[in-house]
Amino acid sequence: MSKGHATRWIALSIAVLLVAFGVVLAVQHRSEASVPRLVQEHKPVPAFSLETLDGKHVSAKSLAGKTYVVNFWNSWCIPCRQERPALETFYEKHRGEPDFAMLGIVRDDDPGPIRDYVAAQSVNWPVAFDPNGSAGLGFGTTGQPETYVISPSGVAACGTLGPVTVAELELWLRAARAEGSCS
Amino acid sequence: MPWLVLAAVVVITGVVLAARSGPSDAPAARAERLDNELACPVCVGESVADSNAPESRAIRTDIVTRIRAGQSDSEIRDAYVGIYGEHILLTPSNSGIGIVAWGIPIVALVLGGAGIVFAVRRWSTTPRLAATGEDEAVVDRERHRHDEPDDEPDDEGDA
Repeated sequence: MSKGHATRWIALSIAVLLVAFGVVLAVQHRSEASVPRLVQEHKPVPAFSLETLDGKHVSAKSLAGKTYVVNFWNSWCIPCRQERPALETFYEKHRGEPDFAMLGIVRDDDPGPIRDYVAAQSVNWPVAFDPNGSAGLGFGTTGQPETYVISPSGVAACGTLGPVTVAELELWLRAARAEGSCS
Repeated sequence: MPWLVLAAVVVITGVVLAARSGPSDAPAARAERLDNELACPVCVGESVADSNAPESRAIRTDIVTRIRAGQSDSEIRDAYVGIYGEHILLTPSNSGIGIVAWGIPIVALVLGGAGIVFAVRRWSTTPRLAATGEDEAVVDRERHRHDEPDDEPDDEGDA
């Protein structure tokens, strides 16, 4: 192999490496989109067992067979406040359906502000604390708000990182009830 | 004999150092090591050990629970990769996409080495400048002039 040839091969190899590195970075960046990993991978809902503000017990087991919404939120998060009217509208429309449930799980907040907010803002759906963060860990939360729609068979069918709209929730509820997915 | 003693000292020191530097299997040491190996999932550039985010606090508690339950370090790491993905590992794994992170520096090193070898070979085969007959004549002439005895009369000696 001539020297010029060898130099060209080395330059080409370096260029290929740089392109490969760029592709890897791009793929990693894309996987950090707004869809939670649990939903992206269509995984089963993690086991959780929590106590609601009114002292009732709620768990993945007790909700099995229903299509239910899990919303991670807290009182100081602005997007959580922004999405509350959508959650309220959606919940009021479906709360009477026997195969439907909705659960708010508090992430990174104290009982006092949460109780005040729930009372002042008519949060009528069950809200539970996650005192040791185990539910958040199971879902792989990375912030709030985060919303998941769980199918009757217990699969994380749909969801998002960030605030939701009524239209999204309706679409996801239909897909999850049909054991479909949104990812 | 002194060489044997020296060799024995070196070997014993090496063995002692190797034994002391091995990772501890104590649950607290394992938990601390894992806390430092995992990235806080909601922070930038912080380990679970350094972060006070709710997720990091939950992971720290969960690691202790998993160690008590008898899980190995790799099982615990795999569990978090399953939840958050490969980016939870501060040290890339040696499989999947982690190979790229390990492989790129090695390939770059090999390519850099190859480049140096080619450059050195090119320099070594470049013909050196040889002195021409004219150059050598100039050198001889200067050397002669330098070696010739000084014929000029010494004014101070004659005085």
